[in-house]
Amino acid sequence: MDASLIIFFLLGFLTIGGAVFMISFTKVAHMVISIGVTFISIAGLFVLLEAEFVAVSQILVYSGAISILMLFGIMLTKHDASEDEPSKAQPFWLTWIFVAGLFLIVAYGIYSTNWNVLPPRQLDPNVSNVKEIGVEVFTNFVVPFELVSVLLLVALVGAIIMAKKEDKD
Amino acid sequence: MTSLLEQTPSLLNVVLLALAAVALLAVVLGFVTYAIYFERKIIGWMQLRPGPNRVGPLGLLQTVADVAKLLLKEDTRPKSADKALFALAPVLAYGPAFAVLAVMPFSENIGFADLGIGVLYYIALSSITILGVITAGWASNNKWSLIGGLRSAAQMISYEVPLVMSVVGIILMTGSLNLRDIVEAQRDVWNIIPQFFAFCVFLIAAQAELNRSPFDLPEAESELVAGYHVEYSGFRFAMFMLAEYVYMFGMGSLITILFLGGWLPPIEALGFIPGIVWFILKFSLYVFLQFWLRATMPRIRADQLMSFAWKGLLPVALINILLTAFFVSYSNGSF
Repeated sequence: MDASLIIFFLLGFLTIGGAVFMISFTKVAHMVISIGVTFISIAGLFVLLEAEFVAVSQILVYSGAISILMLFGIMLTKHDASEDEPSKAQPFWLTWIFVAGLFLIVAYGIYSTNWNVLPPRQLDPNVSNVKEIGVEVFTNFVVPFELVSVLLLVALVGAIIMAKKEDKD
Repeated sequence: MTSLLEQTPSLLNVVLLALAAVALLAVVLGFVTYAIYFERKIIGWMQLRPGPNRVGPLGLLQTVADVAKLLLKEDTRPKSADKALFALAPVLAYGPAFAVLAVMPFSENIGFADLGIGVLYYIALSSITILGVITAGWASNNKWSLIGGLRSAAQMISYEVPLVMSVVGIILMTGSLNLRDIVEAQRDVWNIIPQFFAFCVFLIAAQAELNRSPFDLPEAESELVAGYHVEYSGFRFAMFMLAEYVYMFGMGSLITILFLGGWLPPIEALGFIPGIVWFILKFSLYVFLQFWLRATMPRIRADQLMSFAWKGLLPVALINILLTAFFVSYSNGSF
């Protein structure tokens, strides 16, 4: 058996497990930790696909920044640490119909997509994929890249202005 | 070592890899044991007292005795603490500290994984430790712990930004994120000379990342009720301390590789001395600097901490990026 297959199943199990526990836990801090497990496992899946840069960005942005942001948000706001009441249970068969419907739609989408539109590019294994990404971003995708950076800048300035206003009161 | 990673896994390979990791762990634990001993000795000498000198010859077994004490201590846990997270937090804090060592090339031949993005790997994984710190603060169910955890997290996140920004200059000069390429690019001149501002920013931000003096707020028990680990004792507390010292090992290796030329000798004529010796020498210099700072610097005030990172270090790092980008494109003939 191939090692990557074993690791794939392990990571897939952790990804789905983290997501399932995220829904079934009742304490918010537990939820954040389990979604963190999901994020890290997804990064592991990216490593398996030899997309190291995406994997590291995934850890840096999702496991690091977003999980911590969520924890800060939970701790600094007056939030009930746990939800005691179980949410209103739907009839069992209704849930199953929704899940089956969603599965059918996604499976149809996957099977009807023509994956061979772009021929797979043969990359030189000695060239790091960071370099490839950099070249692509600054040649073919330079306009979306710049637009996204403007958007982020606007968000940053907006956040600073909102924080300043509260300070004056 | 590196070729072992690319083979198909057999029982032998897996066992060999596990043994290599255990060997590294043994080296790191040995380092931590004697780093603590020398830290106490050197601080003692600087303050005109002998330091530990009772347990074993010259006090050499002092740390061993301290660790044994921590292990034998009763493992206390507050009654209303969150059991699962209280146990998980030290693991979350320590795991990444050891995992970052996987990409460190200690010399031409000694090293584990040779990742194309070594620098980013270190930075990304070390951010998971912050998650462990906040979890510890929250799970203790103690207001002081929670405040301490949030304070540490805010400190580590804020100083991570100038830390990353100061490395960008080196990446621009080298054209690679690979730690081996970065060392090889320093054959002519070490990065500390062309990237001196980056070195200063990196050194200061690294102190804050490591929670070391003068940024050791989590250890300020007299004025700030310590930090996220007030409720921890025994082995779990030892894990947090271990994480701190293992990060010191990792940061020392990183600074040696990024700025001090890694395993390269200072002049070509001394090349007959093996690379690992040079690495250890440069690394020890950094570790000594830690102890020196701890013995002589007063602690920075908590309210000045954030503005120093954002208003002091970050602009310097950004100007350094701008200047480096200008010089790199000038030497490539872009102007």
